[in-house]
Amino acid sequence: MSNPMRPTSYLTIARRSGVALAAVCALFAGPAVAASKTLGFVITTWNTGLYESKFIDECPQGFNIGYDEIWWRGISKTDRARLTENGLKSRLDRYFNAIRRGPNSEDVCMNPTVVKDPPLLTVEGKVSYGVNLDGNDDGSANAKTCQHQNFTGLDGTPSVDNQMYRLLGCIYGFRSYGQFEVNANENRKSNGNGMTLIEVTGVDDPKNDSEVKVSFYRAIDQYTLDGTGNFTPFASYRIDAPGGKPRYSSSVKGRIENGVLITEPGDVNLPFYGNYTYMNQEIKEMRLKLELSDDGASAQGMAAGYYGVDQLMFYIGGLGPISSTAISNCPSIYVAAHELADGYPDPKTGKCTALSSSFNFRAVAAFIVHPKTAEQTAASGR
Amino acid sequence: MAKFNFLRVSIAVVAAGLVLGSCDQAAPPTVGAAPTMRLLSESQYRNTIADLFGAHIAVGGTFDPLIRTNGLLTVGATNARITPAGLEQLDRMARSIASQVVAEKNRNVLIPCVPASQSTADDACATKFYASVGRLLYRHPLSPEELNSPVAVAHSAATNLGNFYDGLASGLAGMLVSPSFLFSIDTTEPDPNQTGKTRLDAYAKATRLSFFLWNSAPDDPLLTAAEKGELNTKKGLTTQVERMLASPKLETGTRAFFNDMLAFDDFSKIEKDSIIYPIFSAVVAEDAKEQTLKTITDHLIAQKGDYRELFTTRKTFMSGPLGRIYRIPIDRPDGGWMPYEFPEGDPRAGLITQISFAALYSHPGRSSPTLRGRAIRESLLCQKIPDPPGDVDFSLFNDPNSPNKTARDRLSAHATAPACAGCHKLTDPVGLAMEKIDGAGQLRTTESGAPIDTSGDLDGVKFADAAGLGKAMHDNAAVPSCIVNRMYSFATGRVPAREEKEVLDFFEKNFASAGYRFPELLRKIAVSDALFAVAAPEARSASVPSEKDDQS
Amino acid sequence: MSVLLPSAPSRRQVLRGTLGGAAVGVALPFLDCFLNENGTALAATGAPLPIRFGTWYWGLGHTPGHAIVHKTQTSAGIEFLEECKALKPLEKHINYYGGFNMPLDGRSNYTHFTGWVASRTGSAPSGNNDIPAPTLDLLIADSIGGNTRFQTLDVTSVGIPRENYSARSTNSRAAAEASPEQLYARVFGSEFMDPNKADFKPDPRVMVRKSVLSAVSEQGKALNNKLGTSDRARLDEYFTSIRQIENQLDLQMEKPQPNLACSIPPSPKRDGSEQNMPQGLEVDTVVANHRMMSQILAMAVACNQTNIFNMVFSDNFSHMRRPGQTYTHHLLTHEETPDKVLGYQPVAFSFNCRTMDSFATFIETFANIREGDGTLLDNALIFAATETNYARVHSIDGVPVFTAGRAGGRIKTGMHVVGNGDPITRVGLTAMQVMGLPLDKWGTKSLQTSKTITEVVA
Repeated sequence: MSNPMRPTSYLTIARRSGVALAAVCALFAGPAVAASKTLGFVITTWNTGLYESKFIDECPQGFNIGYDEIWWRGISKTDRARLTENGLKSRLDRYFNAIRRGPNSEDVCMNPTVVKDPPLLTVEGKVSYGVNLDGNDDGSANAKTCQHQNFTGLDGTPSVDNQMYRLLGCIYGFRSYGQFEVNANENRKSNGNGMTLIEVTGVDDPKNDSEVKVSFYRAIDQYTLDGTGNFTPFASYRIDAPGGKPRYSSSVKGRIENGVLITEPGDVNLPFYGNYTYMNQEIKEMRLKLELSDDGASAQGMAAGYYGVDQLMFYIGGLGPISSTAISNCPSIYVAAHELADGYPDPKTGKCTALSSSFNFRAVAAFIVHPKTAEQTAASGR
Repeated sequence: MAKFNFLRVSIAVVAAGLVLGSCDQAAPPTVGAAPTMRLLSESQYRNTIADLFGAHIAVGGTFDPLIRTNGLLTVGATNARITPAGLEQLDRMARSIASQVVAEKNRNVLIPCVPASQSTADDACATKFYASVGRLLYRHPLSPEELNSPVAVAHSAATNLGNFYDGLASGLAGMLVSPSFLFSIDTTEPDPNQTGKTRLDAYAKATRLSFFLWNSAPDDPLLTAAEKGELNTKKGLTTQVERMLASPKLETGTRAFFNDMLAFDDFSKIEKDSIIYPIFSAVVAEDAKEQTLKTITDHLIAQKGDYRELFTTRKTFMSGPLGRIYRIPIDRPDGGWMPYEFPEGDPRAGLITQISFAALYSHPGRSSPTLRGRAIRESLLCQKIPDPPGDVDFSLFNDPNSPNKTARDRLSAHATAPACAGCHKLTDPVGLAMEKIDGAGQLRTTESGAPIDTSGDLDGVKFADAAGLGKAMHDNAAVPSCIVNRMYSFATGRVPAREEKEVLDFFEKNFASAGYRFPELLRKIAVSDALFAVAAPEARSASVPSEKDDQS
Repeated sequence: MSVLLPSAPSRRQVLRGTLGGAAVGVALPFLDCFLNENGTALAATGAPLPIRFGTWYWGLGHTPGHAIVHKTQTSAGIEFLEECKALKPLEKHINYYGGFNMPLDGRSNYTHFTGWVASRTGSAPSGNNDIPAPTLDLLIADSIGGNTRFQTLDVTSVGIPRENYSARSTNSRAAAEASPEQLYARVFGSEFMDPNKADFKPDPRVMVRKSVLSAVSEQGKALNNKLGTSDRARLDEYFTSIRQIENQLDLQMEKPQPNLACSIPPSPKRDGSEQNMPQGLEVDTVVANHRMMSQILAMAVACNQTNIFNMVFSDNFSHMRRPGQTYTHHLLTHEETPDKVLGYQPVAFSFNCRTMDSFATFIETFANIREGDGTLLDNALIFAATETNYARVHSIDGVPVFTAGRAGGRIKTGMHVVGNGDPITRVGLTAMQVMGLPLDKWGTKSLQTSKTITEVVA
C-alpha cells in the first residue's frame, strides 16, 4: 500500500499493510509484543435519555403546552383575529408574533426571564435511564449536589440521577418521536455535521480487556448509507483535524467486560449538531457504556454525565420555529432547569449549574482515518 | 527450465528495444478470411466521437444489442445488422452530436473556418470541415462524391433554415449515420507482391490496427502513414505499432478488450436485492467494474506484468464504496482511488476474488457457483460448457425434510442426475471455490449456519480456496492460450479458422517466451501478416456460429 | 391514407379459401389489408380504422392444472383457474390455444429459447441465439406497417433493452424501449404531431432531415460494389431502416387526420419532478412499469403512431424477484419444493399469477380506449405467448398461447382452441392470415403448417 496512514481498523489488523503495522508496533508496543487492536465507531443516532412508559404515566398531567398556546391565551379575541388572519394562520406562520410576546416584544426564547409563564410540568415517574452520578443515595444536598429526587434504573439500580429527564420528559418535542429529537437525527444523517467518532485503542481482547483508551473525534466525511437508507458499517471516516490537529480529541480510560465497554468518569467535549444548531457539547464526568454486537458491525450505548444548564438553554433557546411543532416553551423550561439543576454548585451562590443527564446512542463500526503527519505526507508525495 | 525462460525473455526484451521483430521469426502465413463489414460497437462509436470531438460531447441513446460470439461482442459486430429502431436511435445520436459540435461554445475549436455569413451557406468552409472530419470518420480521405454529398446537404439546409451552422450540422449528422461511418468495411487491392492475390488496402489496415489496439478509429498520423504507403512496409508498420503501443489510448483499447472478454457489459443490468445486500449499490457496481479494469491495465500495461499473475495478484485499487465491502480503511473516503495491496495469505488474491467477478456472476440475492464456474471456464479458459438439458426437473433434488444448507450440498444432489453430471463436473468445483464470497462480493465463512467448503480441483490441480484456484489458473496452460485466441479474434473481428491453429500456436509460444507480457502479444499480432491476411471476397465465410449467453 | 377503399366483399372468401388449406396466392390490396372491413369501426373522419397487431410476451409459462381448465374439443368458453382468474372478466375478448406442440425434428430444446423462437418464427433454432427466420410481427409489419411513424414499437417492462422477442434474424434484433420515460419521449416527445391540433405547420427541419437521409442513401449505394453477397444483404437492411425513417419524416410533413381516440397520455415523470420511475426486476417494479408502459403504448397505437407493437412483460428466464428473496422467479420454478397439498410451487405460482394479472391489465388498457363504435382492442389482434408450458421441466409441448381482440371483426373471441398435438405454428399462421397476409403455409420442417384455425376466423 503506497498510501501510508494511520488507519483505525475494527478487528481487522491483518488487513493493515505491513508498513503501517510495523509503525504501530514500534511506536506503542515495542517490536516483541503483538500489536493491540483498535475498534472504531461512528455514532449514528443520539437521543436524550427519556424513559417513556406506554401510557405516559410519568407525566400524569400530560404534556406541557407550548409557547404558542400561552401566547394565544394571553391575547384578546380581536388580536387573535388580527394576528392570525381570523385563525387561519398556522402555528408555524405565526411564530414571529407568538414568540415575541415579551412586554417590549422581546423574543421570549432569547430572553426567557422577561415573562412569568406557568410552571413546567415535569416527570413524576420513578424509573429512568442513567447512573448514580453523585454517589449519593437519597438525593439530599451536599458539596457536590443540590437537593433532588433520585430515580430507579430500568434494571432496578437504585439512586439513579437524571434531572434532565425530569426536566424534559413531559415536553412533546423531546420525546423519542418528537420533533426536536427526530429532526436532530435526520439533520445529522443528511448533512453529516456533528458526527462523533469513537476510537477504542489498546484492545487486546475485544470481549474482555481490563484497560483500553477511548477517544472521541469529529468526522469530516458524510455518513455512508446503504440501499435501504441505513448506516453502512466499515466505512472510512477522516478525523476533523485542521492543520493536522484534531478539533475534538477528548479521551477517557475504560475496560471491556463480556463485550461491553465501560469507561471511567471523565470530562469530554463532543461535537453536536441538530435542529440547525452546531455547538460543543461538554459533558462532565461522563461515563460511557457501549454494548458491541456479536458481528462487530454495530453497537449501542449510553452516555451519562452532568450537562450545563447554560449549555442546554443555549440549545433550546436556538431551536426557533421548530418549537412550534415540538410544542415547547423556553421560559418555563428556563425556570425549571435552574430549579432542577443538581450538579456543579456555584461556589458563591451554592446554586447548582448542571443537570444530571443520560443519552442513548447507536453506532456502527467504522475505520477512523487519522491525519497524516508531515513526514507521511511528504513520503506519499502528496 | 528457469534459465531457458530467462534467455527467452531477454531476447524478447532486446528485440523490443531494437527494431521490432528483426530477431525472431515472423508469424506463419495464413490465408486469412474474406473481407469483413463490421458494425461499430457501442464503445468504438463512443471512443471515435470522443477522440474526434472531445469527451465533453454527450452520446446518449441505446444501441441494438450484439450477439456475443467466440466470447466477444466485438466479433458479433461483424455480422450485426441495423434495425429500423436501431437506426432511429443512431439518427437521433447523430443529430445530437452534430448540434453539439456546431454549438457556439464548441464551434471555434471544432470547426476550422468561419463562414462569410452565419445566415447563408458557405461551401468553402463546409468543404474544409467535412474534408478533415470526414477523413477521420470514414477512416480514409473522402472521394469527391463523398465530399460533395454533405456539402450539398449543408448548402440546401443552410439555405432552407437560414443558418450556416444548422446546415453544417445537417451534413455532419448525415455522415454520422452513413454506412461508411457506422460500418468498418474492409477494402482490398491486388497484392503487388503476389500476383492474383488480394490484400487489405492501407486504410483498411490502419482501421484494423486502430480498432484492435485503441478500440477507436485511426488518428491523423496513422491515416497519413496509410496514405504514404508506409503501412505496407515492415518498417513503416512497426513505427506506427510502436507509436500506438506507447499511446495512452492503448489503455482504452485494453479496457475495451477485457470489458468485452469478461462480459462486463452485463454490469449495465446488474441488480442486487437491497434487503439481502443493502451494501451493494449502483456506485459499488460501477466501482467494482472499475477496480478490476484498473487492476488489469495497471498490471498489464503500466507494470508490464505477467498476464497469468492477474489471477494471483494481491495488488489492486480501492475506493470508498469498495472499502466498505472489503472492510478496508480508505484514506480519502470522499472520492478517488488509492493503490492497495492485500496482505499475504488474505483470501482476496487475483481477479476472480474481486467484487466485480463475484457479484456479476451471481443472482440478485444469492451467489451462483454455476454461473461463476461457467464464466471461469468460458471467459477465462475458453472452454465451452454445453447448455443444460431441456427436460430435467431440478426441484426433485430438493428434499424438504433435509434441506441442503450450502450450495455444495444442493449441487451435489443436483449433479447426481446423469444428464447434469457432465457439465456440473466442469463448472461446480471451480464455482464452489468462490463460495466464501457472497453474491455482493462480501466475505463469509458459513451459509445458513453451515461451514462452507471451498476445496476442489482445476483439471487435476487441487486447491483449498479461491486464492488457490487463482494459483491453479496461473499455472493452467489454457489461461494464456485463451487470451491469445480472444485477442486474435478481437483484432480480426472473427472466429479464428481451424487452419489458423498454427498462427495461434505461434503467438502463444511468443507470448510465453516474452514472459506473458501483454504488450508483447499485442505487438506480435499487430505486426503479423495474419492480422491483415485476406482471402478473395468471394470466399467469404458463412456467418459465425452464435453462442448461448444466459443460464441459471 | 385517408382513401376509403370499397370494402372487400371477397375478403371472407379469400380467408375461407385459405382456411381450406388451398394454396391461395392472392395478395389482398395493400391498403385494404389493414382496414376494418365492416362499417362499425369508422372514425369520426369517415376514414376506416386500421387493424393493429401486437405481441405480449411473458416468461415461464403456466402452472399446469391451475391456469386454464383442460378441454378435449375446441368450443366457446374458457374456464379460468386461480392463476388466470384476472382474465375471467375479459373472456369475451380472448381466445386460448392449448395442446399445440413444438416438434423439433431432433434439434435440442435450448431452454427458455427454443420455445419462443419456434412459436414466433415457425422454425426451431439450431443453437442458442439462433433466430432462423423473422418473427411474425415483422412479417406483418412488412405488409401493413409502412404507413405509420414507427414500423413497430418494441417495449419491455424488465428494464433491459435487449429483452426483445422481435427479430429479423440472429444479428438483427432491435433494442426495446426499456423505460416509460424513454418510450414516452420517443412517441409523444417533440416530434409527435397531435392529430387533433387545429393548426399545422410543417417544420422545415423535417424537410432538411429528409434531404440528409436521401443523400446518405444515395452515397451509401456506392458501397454495394465493395461487398460480398451476405454483406450486401446487411447493407440492404440498413437501407430499409433508412427508408423507415424517411417514411416517418414524410408523415411529419402532412397534417395528420383528426383522431378522436387519440389523446396524449400524461408523462410518466412523477410529480413533475425529474425523477424517473424506478427500474429493475422486483416484481412490483415490473408490474408498475408494465402498467405505465402499456398506457403509453396503447395510446401510441390509438394515435396511429404504429400499427405493430411488441410488449415484453417478463424475460424468457424471468429474473423477476420479490424483495428480500434469494430466489428469482426462474430459480424458483426449478428449485422450489412443490407444496404437497396445493400441488404446485407456491411462490413460483404467485409470480405466474402476477404475470396473468398484468396480461389482464394490458388487455384492459386497450379495451378502455374508445375507437369508432368499439374499442381499440376490437380493432387489434394481440398474440400472447411464452416459451414453455411448465418451466419446472422446460416442457415446450402444450405451450399456452392467447390472442386478444377481434381484429376489426375478423376473428371470433371467447374460444378455447384445442390443438390435439398439432404444431403451434397454426396459431401464428392464423394470426397472420387474419392480419391479411397472403400466406398459405408457414414454418419449416415439422413446424410447417397450412392449417388455419378455421374455428376462430369470423
